[in-house]
Amino acid sequence: MVSPIIKASGIEKYYGTYRALSDISLEVANGEFLALVGPSGCGKTSLLKILAGFEDLSAGSLVIDGKDMAGIPASARPTRMVFQKLALFPHKTVAQNIGFPLHLAKRPKSEIDTAVRRMLELMHLKESYLNRFPHELSGGEQQRVALARSMVSQPPVLLLDEPMSALDAKLKKSLQAELKHLHRHVGTSFVHVTHDLEEAMMLADRICVMRAGRIVQLGAPSEIYYRPADAFVAGFIGDTNLLPAKVTRVGEGFRFSCEILDCTEPLLSADQVAPGVAAGGDAALMIRPEMLRLLPQGENAECTIVGTVNEYFIRGASIQYRIAAAGTEIVMDIPGTSTLPAKQGDAVRLGLALGDLFAVGA
Amino acid sequence: MRLSTLPLLLLMGLFFVIPLIMTALLSFQGTQYYRLVWTWDLKVWTDVFSQVHYWTIMWRTLVMALICTLLCTVLAIPIAYGMLHRLSRWSDHITLLMVFAFLTDAVLKTFGWVLFLDRSGVLNGTLEAIGFPAASVNVLFTPNATMIGMVYNLLPYTIFTVALSMARIDGDLVLAARDAGASRLRAFVEVTLPLAKPGIWAGAVLVFVLSLGVFLEPKVMGGGTSPLAAELIRQSFETRVNWPLGAALTLVLIVIGAAALTVFGAVALWQARRVAND
Repeated sequence: MVSPIIKASGIEKYYGTYRALSDISLEVANGEFLALVGPSGCGKTSLLKILAGFEDLSAGSLVIDGKDMAGIPASARPTRMVFQKLALFPHKTVAQNIGFPLHLAKRPKSEIDTAVRRMLELMHLKESYLNRFPHELSGGEQQRVALARSMVSQPPVLLLDEPMSALDAKLKKSLQAELKHLHRHVGTSFVHVTHDLEEAMMLADRICVMRAGRIVQLGAPSEIYYRPADAFVAGFIGDTNLLPAKVTRVGEGFRFSCEILDCTEPLLSADQVAPGVAAGGDAALMIRPEMLRLLPQGENAECTIVGTVNEYFIRGASIQYRIAAAGTEIVMDIPGTSTLPAKQGDAVRLGLALGDLFAVGA
Repeated sequence: MRLSTLPLLLLMGLFFVIPLIMTALLSFQGTQYYRLVWTWDLKVWTDVFSQVHYWTIMWRTLVMALICTLLCTVLAIPIAYGMLHRLSRWSDHITLLMVFAFLTDAVLKTFGWVLFLDRSGVLNGTLEAIGFPAASVNVLFTPNATMIGMVYNLLPYTIFTVALSMARIDGDLVLAARDAGASRLRAFVEVTLPLAKPGIWAGAVLVFVLSLGVFLEPKVMGGGTSPLAAELIRQSFETRVNWPLGAALTLVLIVIGAAALTVFGAVALWQARRVAND
């Protein structure tokens, strides 16, 4: 990694005696898109506020753009924040809002004007909006103005505090795509806080999953999705199946036994097991819903599950089945078809490749 | 028109419009041997317009009210800001003390100031004790003492209105300004102050209207040497028992107040437009 733009080492944060962050160490590469993900109260927003300079850290060190941030106020940091509720100045026009950081830096009027127009174009905002006030714009347009304001002075780091959580699903999707495009275009490092792992996977180069003030896992989206560090990360996205199993170490790999899952050769290779799994004992086998398929009569797979259909949901591109198997509900997503392959109460056999299994600590 | 507006119309009519009309009608009458005479002439008005004395007092009242408004507004802004942001832990205690002082009867508070500012009062006694010459603060029974009393009694109105509008400002807006590179002072000037403007104007208007009618402070603290309009009107009604004159002077004061408020409003509107066009 080239010298990182953000280097946090051993950051701790206490509010009184409550420990909000413990031992946070992470690096963000120049131009990287990092997502901070976790349930509410996990400390992701506290961490973002520490990066922005709105909160002091209780212990540890923070270096941004080669400078130690100790004692440096938010106003002097090489970071810009996009606020959850946008925080556009209601008494300033769109042009004044976007140009505000440059106005503070006492740049000449012509330069500010050029920069504002450039941001307007980049954000696909109409020029006629310049003299309007934020409340005269739609939610999505306000979002773009907020982004434009934080990008106008070309900061090395952009911090985003769940800026899309208030938008409706469709608008959110289109803005997510724009945000990713924007990130590619400007080359600024993004640190994006969200509680939505799906959004994080769409956008980020790397994802940092947090829980109770600690980093649980830091890695590429595919790593987080296919090789979660533990059951918490595995269950954080979608309707993940976690089947209780017993594992025992056999040479490099692990032998496993699971009541629900019937495999021809129940062996996991070393890279199919999360580091937290003990050499022998209880574990959970993670199966993503889309890894399962319906087995036609007479066909076999490396691993099979037998059960009856509890419920199904037609979702257009996919059909979700909820299947009762030995007292556990299994979730399966299969590609959508015009004819329903199985109905409520049908006895079904589900197939799965052995290589798709991944074991996490129970 | 809805039925629900009736109580309001009744209230306004009974306690505002009708008394005002009665006052106006009264100013066209005369007095003889301390008795009201229904003359329907302009004698009182010609009297009012020919006596420089009345206008000196009206002018003094207007100037005092404007200075008091300015002082109360300028003082209230840092006090309200400090209360909300710097002393936020004590904000409840401060508010309680202020409400307590605010609700204490104005007569008591004003006489309290007399005891404090007197030549041999608490302030001078304290100053003398730490080495200043005797009676070094000699402000009592001057217009300055009147101003101290007015500002003291009216300041809570501006502090409360300004604090209320400042408290309603989204804290993220100030953070956003800081994040964009603004110092604390700059964030205050660029964000807090303009967004608190409605409260600042409301407080100023409130104090201005109230200070046009002050009566206690010039009498007790100012020593009655430079009376203001309210005292003049009281004298006309009570001492001289000249109700038509009192009514005419009341109307003059109302017109002056209304004219000043119109100017206030025009300035506020012009400011708002200028911000929008800037």
